Amino acid sequence: MAVSESQLESGREPATEDEEEVEARVGWRYTVARIKRDTTARWGLYVVTIVLFVAIYAVVDSNLSLLTFGLLSDFTFARLLPIFDHPTHIPPPGEGTQHMPPYFPLAEQAWNPLPAGGTLEHPLGTDHTGRDYFTRIVYGTQVSVFVGLVSTFIGLAGGTVIGAVAGYYGGRADDILMRAVETVYSIPPLILIIVFTVFVGGANIWYAVLGVGITFIPVFARIIRSRVLSIREMDYIEAARAAGVKDRHIIMRHVVPNSFAPVLVYATLQIGVTILIVAGLSFLGYGAQPPTPDWGQMLNIAHGYMHSNVWLSIWPGIAIMITIMGFNLFGDGLQDALDPRIDD
Amino acid sequence: MKLLKYTIYRLLQAIPVLIGISVITFLLANLGPGDPVSLMLQGQEHSEELVRTIERRYGLDRPLHERYLTYMGGLLQGDFGQSIHHQRPVADLMINRVGPTLLLVLSAYAFALATAIPLGIIAANRRNEPTDHVSRIAALVGVSTPSFWIGIVLILIFAVTLGWLPSSGLIYPWRPPSAYRGIDGHLELYYESVRHLLLPMIALGTLQMATIMRVERTQMIESLQGEYVKLARAYGVPERTILRKHAFNVAQLPIITIVGLNLSTAIGGAVLVETVFNINGMGRLFVNAISTNDYQLVMGITMMLGFLFVIGVIITDISYAYVDPRVTYGERE
Amino acid sequence: MSSEPLLRVENLKTQFFTEAGTVRAVDGLSFEVREGEIVGLVGESGAGKSVASMSIMGLVEAPGEIVAGEITYKGETIFGLEEGPDGELRKRDDALSDEEIRTRIRGNEIAVIFQDPMESLNPVFTVGGQLREFIELNRGLGEDEAKAAAIDMLREVGIPDPEERYEEYPHQFSGGMRQRVLIAMALACEPSLIIADEPTTALDVTVEGQILDLVDDLQAKYGTSFIWVTHDLGVVAEICDRVNVMYLGEIVEQAPVDELFYDTKHPYTNALLDSIPRPDRTVTELEAIEGVMPEAITPPSGCRFHPRCPDAREVCKRVHPEAKVVDDAGGEPHRAACVQHDAFDVGYDESPPLEGVAGGVSTVRDEGSGDSGADSELAANPTGDDSGGGSRE
Repeated sequence: MAVSESQLESGREPATEDEEEVEARVGWRYTVARIKRDTTARWGLYVVTIVLFVAIYAVVDSNLSLLTFGLLSDFTFARLLPIFDHPTHIPPPGEGTQHMPPYFPLAEQAWNPLPAGGTLEHPLGTDHTGRDYFTRIVYGTQVSVFVGLVSTFIGLAGGTVIGAVAGYYGGRADDILMRAVETVYSIPPLILIIVFTVFVGGANIWYAVLGVGITFIPVFARIIRSRVLSIREMDYIEAARAAGVKDRHIIMRHVVPNSFAPVLVYATLQIGVTILIVAGLSFLGYGAQPPTPDWGQMLNIAHGYMHSNVWLSIWPGIAIMITIMGFNLFGDGLQDALDPRIDD
Repeated sequence: MKLLKYTIYRLLQAIPVLIGISVITFLLANLGPGDPVSLMLQGQEHSEELVRTIERRYGLDRPLHERYLTYMGGLLQGDFGQSIHHQRPVADLMINRVGPTLLLVLSAYAFALATAIPLGIIAANRRNEPTDHVSRIAALVGVSTPSFWIGIVLILIFAVTLGWLPSSGLIYPWRPPSAYRGIDGHLELYYESVRHLLLPMIALGTLQMATIMRVERTQMIESLQGEYVKLARAYGVPERTILRKHAFNVAQLPIITIVGLNLSTAIGGAVLVETVFNINGMGRLFVNAISTNDYQLVMGITMMLGFLFVIGVIITDISYAYVDPRVTYGERE
Repeated sequence: MSSEPLLRVENLKTQFFTEAGTVRAVDGLSFEVREGEIVGLVGESGAGKSVASMSIMGLVEAPGEIVAGEITYKGETIFGLEEGPDGELRKRDDALSDEEIRTRIRGNEIAVIFQDPMESLNPVFTVGGQLREFIELNRGLGEDEAKAAAIDMLREVGIPDPEERYEEYPHQFSGGMRQRVLIAMALACEPSLIIADEPTTALDVTVEGQILDLVDDLQAKYGTSFIWVTHDLGVVAEICDRVNVMYLGEIVEQAPVDELFYDTKHPYTNALLDSIPRPDRTVTELEAIEGVMPEAITPPSGCRFHPRCPDAREVCKRVHPEAKVVDDAGGEPHRAACVQHDAFDVGYDESPPLEGVAGGVSTVRDEGSGDSGADSELAANPTGDDSGGGSRE
């Protein structure tokens, strides 16, 4: 502590600035400004934006019912770009001529040699049924992002309610809720999600989303609870209570909003974790069901073609990695912005 | 003495959690719409009478709470019930599967700790230098990549393309060499078991490594700014000793907690890695049990993995209490 | 008194290069410490006291850097800069290297006691282990001897049952006891100089009193010199032989302790004295110093204290006073950096007073006579006019 705190702290602002600027350091504007300055957060934001854009593009572009229940029209993306010659006849999946995996054909497939690096039609080649791999990867974004956002939201909402109630009331309610939370926490999430999905719903992406959400309620509940515990003792809460404000009102208007910043950061990071878990779930066959394109499920299928086409196993993994990295970068940046304790 | 008391205290604390786990698994396995009997018969022709017989045989005709109590009574005697698919006791099925999973998870942790701690310290010490940036990016990639995909890529590189390492199965060092064809002598057995373990270990350990490295870096940075480090510097302690002793010891405390809590992620990851590498551990048994709707077996495995996690957390808690003199036994959350 | 002092600091400048600009935390500091004396370094927080003491130890952390000055200890240059052939500043050849400072100076010649006894000890090592390590390192003793020395010193600083406490961890000690451990640590290394950086600030008043008594006794016994960094003039009065008052990185007044209190020469020191609660004054007379200390990043022009100074005149905005000898107290120079004094011939008396500065309340009174009784009666009227201002000459 070479220079005293106050000196360095205020040293950041030019001394000519008036006091309002100093006030702003804790508010939203300051946070946004910090995010803008933070390289990590900025890059995270770029990646997340691109991923979201791709996901939304996939929603807008295709028929909604097809989307939800599977069966996507193939080659969409290639057709969109006029420079690509698109085939006039599209064989339905699983029928017609099968496109062989295009990259690095091994000796036994030399009878169907395709140029390495894919073709203009299929930049990433085709899968085992001849569907364009690039299109499927693009559409896979949608499932991952959707699952990540929705299940994180379920966890966040459930965790907020449980954590706020447990933290605010304390005592028995706290004990019971926290024991329950600890119990759920003790079952490895992937195991719990699979059991929930299969036994309650049957392998289905909706139950997977619900299962993931419920499984992560404990994590959020813990954070909210510890925040609430510290905020509960604040003078303004005491004042509100003394003034006869209803408990529910105090929790919703004062306690929750004030404990939200760290939870938001956590939620951003949790989206990445969720996508990771759902990828694993789909890889085992308990997530999105074919023909809905999903990265984990594509890896599952590609696993069977490991020796004939290496790249089928590579692309979905890279897609997963970039997406999760985006959310993690953004979350890290947010954390730095909200907690400048470790200042790089 | 204090530690023993603390251990007993923590074990007692775990009992309600274990009961909770059993309730959750039991409810999930029995309340679902998938009726075990029809699942068992799997589309075979069956008469109403046959269903009744099977229900009676497995006690499925009794009310839920009675069945739960029976199940728990069995559990207390080490009886996890009968696997419907395999027609064998669940405990028998699991007993040979725990070893491989433990071997995998523990070696993954060993790999993670052995790499993450030095890397984290280096990154903290060379903060904002290229070394730091590279290791931070590596850590970011590590926490963002699914373990099973790392496994796939490792297989593609080291097994399929280069042919250096085997891509499936494990060789268990605790078995006699005669159990494996083509292996004679213990030395070769150990060598082969390491060769087989290498890829799955890295696949499972990478996420842990990245997580631990991030925590290690942050903690070391914080610790290096501590007053006690300033004091040590002011008394002429060499920078190397400060890094290895004064700053290091304090920074390791949160690592212990992280290791314990991440155990659940590691066990989940083991399910996937075992599938990718065809390792006959608890994870693959679980996947099989799920796909054959063997609810008794699923319950048994879930209980067992939950139990392993709880034990793991207790062990880390105790080692924390052992390392940190400030822990007042029995009061730590 | 003309012999070489133990430590001499000359024109020391330490700056912090931050995003917002350069913070001139220490800006041309000169003082000396003689053998066996306790020298006070006094000022508000942010005045640069701690940075100054860290600079002496060579422990300024990035983004801070010593950019000028010379520090001489026992005739050896422990810090010195010169301009290299390329115009860049570089370390002088006769100055000790970092390694030499670490092995020869830190701990065994100059030891420190930090402000926060709760944080200064490492929580995961025993108190004894930490003491022993530093003693082994700085006195070259073996393990057993170092342990014996550590236990002796713990007893010396008044820790009961030192053999048992030796094995205990810092969290088992109270704040006062930990500060005693830190004092034991400093003394056990047998240094010639101890820098005490606000060592009693974090303690409550009764404990503070005990610690001050302890230091007084031990100082008499071991003859160690001290630099006592504090913001508390009460502590200074109790313990120091000579005092340096710092304001915004500079020394504004330097005098033997009695001189400083009874013949104050700088309005800032005066203001500091007025802000101390004293039994002979009522609370209504207790006066805070007007305004807050400006940032060391953009120090005011001229005299840095002029925006808060009740005596400020036009000239104070323009002329930046260096501390000069303004009086002589029994062979000791009394330095002050204020243009009111005759030593500064810049036309203070002719200069018009500044508008809108420090109202009548924060009057600097001439208490040189020590007759505070009459004065306080006069000042009991809070609206008392600005009679003190400028009437000194």
